[in-house]
Amino acid sequence: MEIFLDSIKNSIYKFSRNKVSIIGFFMVAMVIIVAIFAPLLAPYPKAAGAFIDFSNASKPPSRAHFFGTDVVGRDILSRVMFAFRGALIMGLGVIAAIVPFGVLVGLFAGYYYGTWIDTVVMRITDIFVTLPALLLALAVASFGRPSLFNSMMAVAFAWWPFYARLTYSMASSVRNETFVKAAQTIGAHKAHIIFKEILPNCLAPIFTKMALEIGWVILVGATLSFVGLGEQPPTAALGTMVSDGAQYLPAQWWISLFPALAICFMILAFNLLGDGVKSMLSTEVL
Amino acid sequence: MYTKRLGRVGVVLVVFLISALLLTFWSSSTSTSKTGAYTAQPTDYTIHTTEDWPTYIDPAVGNDFSDSIALLNLYDSLVFPTVQGTVKPSLAVKWGLSKNGLVYTFTLRHGVKFHNGDELTGEDVAFSMERLLTIKQGFAYLFSPYVKNAKATGKYTVVITLKKSFGPFISALPRLYILNKRTVMAHIVKPGTYGAFGDYATKWLLTHDAGSGPYTVQKYNVISDLLAAKFAKYWGGWSPNAPNFFEESASSQPASEYAAFATRDLDITDELLPLETYQSMAKLTGATVVTFLNGHNLNIMLHTKKPPTDDVHFRKALAYVFDYNAVISSIYPGSVQSKGPVPATLLGFDPNLFHYHTNLQKAKAELAQSKYANKLDQYPVTLSWCAEAPAEEKVALLFQANAAEIGIKVQITKKPFGSMEADATNIKTTPNASIVFVAPDYPEAGAMLSVRYSSASAGSWEQCEWLQNSAIDKMINDALATADQAARLKKYYAIQAKIVDLCPTIWVMDQAEKRAYQSAYVDWPVGDAIKAGKTAVGSSVMGYNLYAHDMKVYPQKRAELLSGS
Amino acid sequence: MSLPSWLAKRLGEAVIVLVGLSILLFCITRILPGDPARIALGPRVPESAVEDLRKQMNLDKPLPTQYFLWVKGVLRGDFGMSLLSRRAVVTDIKAYFPATLEEVILAAILQFAGGIGLGILAAKYADTWLDGIVRVVAYLGIATPSFVWGIVLLLLLGYWIPILPIQGRISPNVTPPPHITGMFTVDSLLTGKLGVLWDSLKHLILPALALALAPMSQAARLLRSSMCDDMEADHVYAMRAYGVPENRILTKYLARLAFIPAISVMSLDAGSLFASAFVVESVFNFPGLSRFGMQAILNKDLNSIAGILLLVGVLFVLIIILADLIVAYLDPRTRLQQRG
Repeated sequence: MEIFLDSIKNSIYKFSRNKVSIIGFFMVAMVIIVAIFAPLLAPYPKAAGAFIDFSNASKPPSRAHFFGTDVVGRDILSRVMFAFRGALIMGLGVIAAIVPFGVLVGLFAGYYYGTWIDTVVMRITDIFVTLPALLLALAVASFGRPSLFNSMMAVAFAWWPFYARLTYSMASSVRNETFVKAAQTIGAHKAHIIFKEILPNCLAPIFTKMALEIGWVILVGATLSFVGLGEQPPTAALGTMVSDGAQYLPAQWWISLFPALAICFMILAFNLLGDGVKSMLSTEVL
Repeated sequence: MYTKRLGRVGVVLVVFLISALLLTFWSSSTSTSKTGAYTAQPTDYTIHTTEDWPTYIDPAVGNDFSDSIALLNLYDSLVFPTVQGTVKPSLAVKWGLSKNGLVYTFTLRHGVKFHNGDELTGEDVAFSMERLLTIKQGFAYLFSPYVKNAKATGKYTVVITLKKSFGPFISALPRLYILNKRTVMAHIVKPGTYGAFGDYATKWLLTHDAGSGPYTVQKYNVISDLLAAKFAKYWGGWSPNAPNFFEESASSQPASEYAAFATRDLDITDELLPLETYQSMAKLTGATVVTFLNGHNLNIMLHTKKPPTDDVHFRKALAYVFDYNAVISSIYPGSVQSKGPVPATLLGFDPNLFHYHTNLQKAKAELAQSKYANKLDQYPVTLSWCAEAPAEEKVALLFQANAAEIGIKVQITKKPFGSMEADATNIKTTPNASIVFVAPDYPEAGAMLSVRYSSASAGSWEQCEWLQNSAIDKMINDALATADQAARLKKYYAIQAKIVDLCPTIWVMDQAEKRAYQSAYVDWPVGDAIKAGKTAVGSSVMGYNLYAHDMKVYPQKRAELLSGS
Repeated sequence: MSLPSWLAKRLGEAVIVLVGLSILLFCITRILPGDPARIALGPRVPESAVEDLRKQMNLDKPLPTQYFLWVKGVLRGDFGMSLLSRRAVVTDIKAYFPATLEEVILAAILQFAGGIGLGILAAKYADTWLDGIVRVVAYLGIATPSFVWGIVLLLLLGYWIPILPIQGRISPNVTPPPHITGMFTVDSLLTGKLGVLWDSLKHLILPALALALAPMSQAARLLRSSMCDDMEADHVYAMRAYGVPENRILTKYLARLAFIPAISVMSLDAGSLFASAFVVESVFNFPGLSRFGMQAILNKDLNSIAGILLLVGVLFVLIIILADLIVAYLDPRTRLQQRG
């Protein structure tokens, strides 16, 4: 128990040694808090939905509206706060959906290294990685009614093979380690070997990849909504806000600029946090 | 120390990048500062406009706004529409109709030359009609139900025989664009879909023209741009400052269009920009934003066969709750609320027609009568708006906010026009509500009524209502078959009254088309009429306000504007 | 393994993967809801004409037959007919690919030059203010989506300081060079038309820059961190202790080692430029294949989607093989091993 606590303390120390990752941690925490408590924190919660106030339309940033208002008079700050929700759901949801699946596929293919299962599964992932994930997601997202869920499915569809491949490469080397051989010799069950012996030894790089990639997923999600394939109005989505606001450039620059900055802020936050996790875990693996 | 050397490599690379950028900066600032004695290049006499894309320039394929603009500049028709809603002679100098109302005889102008120098004859007219009817695309739908055949009876006479009487036939004729038979035949690829005619030269005509119009295709880029050059031997003659080139290119981000307009690369904008962009453009020196009623209307089409909009009371509730004034004051200023399905500028519009107005009490009363009154939660209204027309988003949001006042939930989807078109083809995929602009094909109420409400057009982007009402079909067919104009107009009135009662559509407004143009160095008949304080009415026939032949360009003034700014 | 046999093996694997990709793309595009022929022709065209088109596009046949016919066409260089442009997809690819290719190549040059330059600078001046600036810029560069870069550059250099054209490939009053490769820059250079070269380059800069900034930042970060790590590595200290000349240590070990991991990431990023171009070309109204591809995606033009994505897949695979070759050349340890 003490060793366990020590290792946690050690991790926290390693994480906190990196100032940048501490900044990232607080930025992420801020985004999450704002997203969860958006209805309480947003100055104009009504602006998140079907709301129109032409008398306040296209107002530049002011004390009443820090980020200004959009062309139908909605407070952009409030909409950005609500839009964090969709972006978080996109980033965390996609990762949460594809990691178990990808890891499972990779583990099995790795365990059955050299058999036909390995060949078939890994050739299939090869096919997926011959296209940039963004492109595959764009193509898939265009089928069916555009929505947050559909765009998440599209991103997940394009992204899972990367986890399968990472886990596969880890698993296929771990399976030759003596402790795995030993477990096999004493007749341990396959499931035991895969989940209790091999999986724990693959976790560090998987967690690192997850932490590093949430930002990427958010970026791809924002790109999908930028071309109109994401969350639909009136629900606020950052990519959509940028593309709709871009129509009013250069005069009403605030309509697209602040959502664009919000996207950058979010991605930056997760990238910084990811770097922290990376430096925390990279030495743990050994 | 090698690290130093590495550092130097880095410095060199970064310096290279920065200097490349600076060089660009310097070169463009020097190129624009060359003022001095200005001499206009032939290419300076260009009118550049934008429109939504793709644009099909084959007369048997194209039929939307941008296609129409291209076609009328590349080709001639027998008659040309006027702003007043009538037609004037063009290739045909006169025509007559037989007593039974079925046989039209046209006498053609002598000496009209095609772009390759061939003379235009009756043979070409007959051929063009046959080609259109065989390919069945483009504006063929205007003629297919009525035209039996077209025959040249002499070098300069052509006879068009109808299957059944079609009152507005002459009004529809501008949509028959005349091709050079010899050119088309020479570019046929065999085998093709059309038997002896192979592909009917559809492949070649996708990127070339075979017309006699004022302009001829110089360069055609399928996804983005049409550049057409002046045809020097045009039969209509040329005024001294007429544009040498007419360029139509794909609409882009309003910010890009603004920049192109501000740098005077773009001369007449499209009509799809948000209000704010026009307002910014109007502030530029030498730019004018014109607003004119163009005979188009904006509709929220309600699917009459899909719950909950299949209930007439539900539809009326929506029509009463909608805030028409917000649209014409805040979204499309200059427009007027529509009175029913026919734009007020069209011949056959009934000025005394009942129309819906914003009234919350009536909306609630209608909703109470509908069968969905108590289960609104289970029946959200799906709505699509067109991504290429950004201002429609505001209409969508307004509709959503208004509907929420009486407890109706609206789900909005932004769709590219192509997807909306695809959804409209199937009764299941068509949404409850679609925001669509519609333009008449010829300047008469019949054009609007038949294309919007006859069963034949159900499942098109122009009829997302799926009205499929046989009584209305009969009335429309009867009206269109009436050769006598006065009688025909009366029948139009009756149809309008009946349709308004069914309330298949929220008729939002008759559009005031806005376009910004470079009034300092471009003469544009529509713009000039408005500048002169005349009534702001453009041609009601889609595309005809952008007839480049009647425009004038003054490159000297353009140069002055550029050097001044 | 010798180079020819390694290359043959890799290309063989690539062919198998591409066959798989063709099946995947075919399936994705054929599960589209709606009737593509009807969508293409519009509602006013009678059923007989739609039926003709369906036959022409083989849409009336069962799916496996359709796939077989499609692949047969693809092998002959025929990707079918585009519903959007109404002509052969190959014609569109030929017309628009050169524009995207020169744009992506310029972006890749910017990415490599800028990334390597900034990375080395930051490593050289590690932990100084210069390093700090580069790191902040790199972080921001990565966190900013290419479409945001597109809009920012469009506003900054196209509007506020209007020094660069923001639309199209070439100015309206400039005649494009004669068609040789289709790439305006190359063709104008070959025919000696420097004015045209300059004009087309100016049109390329903004889209290419918007594409390049994110991967450039990524490359700079990667190079900086791997160089800094290596400078402190034990074997470097050991070599210094043995009196190996500093220059030799750096050229022979440090730089090579730092470039190797960076090159495969940078090449993958360069391949992904084709994907980012789908969004960026729309922002700049740049008439390239990616803009056409984006229109095809939004308009459900099935043959164009399949054709263009397959082309990008082929390029992506070739870039990966090329990157492996470069890595093998720089890193003798790899010795052209089998991947995976």
